[in-house]
Amino acid sequence: MLLASSFVVVALVFCMATVLALFGVTHVSMSGAEAIERDGLAPGIHAPVWSLVDSTSKAVHSPPRTGLQLIMFTDHSLKAFPSVVDGLREVMARERLEIVVLTRRRNELAEPVLRLLGLDGIPVLTGSPSLYAAYNVRVTPFAIFVDSAGRVRASSLVNYDWQVTKLLQLADLPLESENLAPRGRFWRRTAGAGV
Amino acid sequence: MEVLVLCAKTVLACVLIVAGSAKLADPASFATTVRLFIPFRAAWPLLSAIAIGVSLGELAVGLASLTIPAITALNALVFAITCAFVGVSALGYAFHRGRSCRCFGALSQRKFDAAGVLRSAVIAGIAAVALAHVGAAALQLDATARVLLIAAAGLLALAAFTAARVRGPGSEPEPKVVAQ
Repeated sequence: MLLASSFVVVALVFCMATVLALFGVTHVSMSGAEAIERDGLAPGIHAPVWSLVDSTSKAVHSPPRTGLQLIMFTDHSLKAFPSVVDGLREVMARERLEIVVLTRRRNELAEPVLRLLGLDGIPVLTGSPSLYAAYNVRVTPFAIFVDSAGRVRASSLVNYDWQVTKLLQLADLPLESENLAPRGRFWRRTAGAGV
Repeated sequence: MEVLVLCAKTVLACVLIVAGSAKLADPASFATTVRLFIPFRAAWPLLSAIAIGVSLGELAVGLASLTIPAITALNALVFAITCAFVGVSALGYAFHRGRSCRCFGALSQRKFDAAGVLRSAVIAGIAAVALAHVGAAALQLDATARVLLIAAAGLLALAAFTAARVRGPGSEPEPKVVAQ
């Protein structure tokens, strides 16, 4: 009886210890720079499909009908990242690339400030926290490239212009077949390009 | 000695429950590992089915081993499974070195390497210890104890599943953006 009780106690202790260990590992993985590197969506994953209207009542769709779409997750705080603005200006000239700015929530300052920064012609769309969550984006400015097939081609937090242009180069690379996940569910994690 | 054997049995049950639950949280990712060991070009649904089957098998054996310890045949089954782990690790080390093994789904970023083979061998060694004879009295559980163990095992499975979902699929690392 004593041994039988010992088995239960040992088993319960091991189970609880493992649960605590899992909690600790998860907590650590969700914080810090390493966690941010995993934000976004992995290349090859199907990105969320949406259609939003900009301030001129023009509908913008994702994925794009042709070419690549660069979704910039940011708001008026982009003014604190002049290098990223330079990077966006640099890639704006690229053909078959549609750039859209997606804000987490309605932000009256976002569009005027972005226009002031010289980002004319880029639609500013009001997203939602749930849409940000669908892209697994927590911190901004964050860039995700989506192709016309709806697959993510590259994603990363961006702080400098070279990161924007480098991501565009990565987005142009063919997808590895191993990364092509079946359509049907959204994975929260990316092994993404850590910047 | 009996306590040591019971500890080994419990540890293995926990390992199987965590591994199975974590893989179930991300079957598509584990299917890519399964594909490495399928000698023919298999369709994705088949790979997914195998991945889910393996995950459910691990989970079921782990749960049974923890909550019905009196079935000694489970010890042999667990030992056979751990031997299979050693075989898979060795094959992975030989032919797919450096690739993610996804042994614990997204909970671990371990790869097929020499350390992985060693880990598998250690787990098989623990399973061998668990094969040792234990008096029947030590494995008898009353209803309350069984309910407690089922609850603990369920909580463990849920925790592993949730943690793996939060951490997301353990995909291969992508090329990093480097400074120019």
